[in-house]
Amino acid sequence: MQLLDWLFRKSSDDARSKAKDRMKQMLIHDRLELPPDRLSSLEEELVAVVCRYFDIDRDTTRFDLQQYERKASLIANFPLVRSKT
Amino acid sequence: MTGRVIVVTSGKGGVGKTTASANIGLALAASGPSVALVDMDIGLRNLDILMGLENRVVYNLVDVVEEKCKLRQALVKDKRLPNLNLLPAAQTRDKTAVNADQMKKLTEELKGMFDYVLIDSPAGIESGFQNAIAGAEEAVVICTPEMSAVRDADRVIGLLEARKDEISQYRLIINRIRPHMVKSNDMMSVQDVLEILSVKLLGVVPEDDQVIVSTNKGEPLSGSSDNQKAGQAYRNIAKRLQGEEVPFLNLDAMDATWFTKVVKFFNPARV
Ligand SMILES: Nc1ncnc2c1ncn2[C@@H]1O[C@H](COP(=O)(O)OP(=O)(O)OP(=O)(O)O)[C@@H](O)[C@H]1O
Ligand SMILES: [Mg+2]
Repeated sequence: MQLLDWLFRKSSDDARSKAKDRMKQMLIHDRLELPPDRLSSLEEELVAVVCRYFDIDRDTTRFDLQQYERKASLIANFPLVRSKT
Repeated sequence: MTGRVIVVTSGKGGVGKTTASANIGLALAASGPSVALVDMDIGLRNLDILMGLENRVVYNLVDVVEEKCKLRQALVKDKRLPNLNLLPAAQTRDKTAVNADQMKKLTEELKGMFDYVLIDSPAGIESGFQNAIAGAEEAVVICTPEMSAVRDADRVIGLLEARKDEISQYRLIINRIRPHMVKSNDMMSVQDVLEILSVKLLGVVPEDDQVIVSTNKGEPLSGSSDNQKAGQAYRNIAKRLQGEEVPFLNLDAMDATWFTKVVKFFNPARV
């Protein structure tokens, strides 16, 4: 879990970190030709599916695109509270 | 002889393509090999000015393509180094004056005459850019550590990747680095840009007022060993192009970042 916290850590808000974070998100969207709202609708749908099976902790849910080399991956973390009966 | 055809490109305008072409060309030639500098920015001829050769231009690239003159007649010999030659762009024509096939044919011919054929490309990713990369086998992508320049470089890299069969490798030059601004976290560092673009680094060129002075004189900075900033950076780049391993100017730390750690975590086999 520590790794995930650190993966999704909030970076500082100096101009350099801001630029870097904005760049990363921008380029992932550019490369995938991903419309800006597409990711949030995917998140909504996925959350809905997971919620059919589990109660999840929505406050600490994470959903993000990250890049390795020039490829993007989707990284999601849905902390589970208990399974639904 | 079969020379290497290397295109210098950027996407965004004004980031330093022509300056880099002139400086790298001169530094390459100074170390021995024969070099042709090709100005593909048709309609916006600049390279002759940076080289201080504007008074010697008689014919240009479009004249060669249209067979108004022989290639040899259009080549302008550098006044410092006889093994350095410039093929100037046409100033009064536009990008549509040539096409990709003609450029391929031209670079083929130049390859037979020179060890290095260095092509300075126009800004943008339209026909002028496509013509400039048409005959290239390697690319040098230039950007500054600014968001718009990095975004455009990424676009260009995507287009170069799509031509993997022709363009076997591309490397990045990060130009106009201001170390004090990186230190105070006001600007992206070399490592930041590399992490964002995931490309191989060819060189880092610092912001240097002497670049403007040298442009005014028509004498690229890399030509004299006095300049230890941008001039030295371009000389190092020329060495790296020739396969020499030269340490990068230590403008910021190149240590492992969270990024490489993440990669290890998700994909241990790849690191
Ligand atoms: N390292 C540097 N330090 C300071 N000034 C620089 C540096 N590199 C380039 N410049 C300046 O930036 C300006 C643009 O450079 P240059 O003409 O080489 O860019 P370009 O990419 O060829 O532009 P264009 O897209 O219009 O062809 C010039 O005024 C040049 O002197
Ligand atoms: Mg230029």
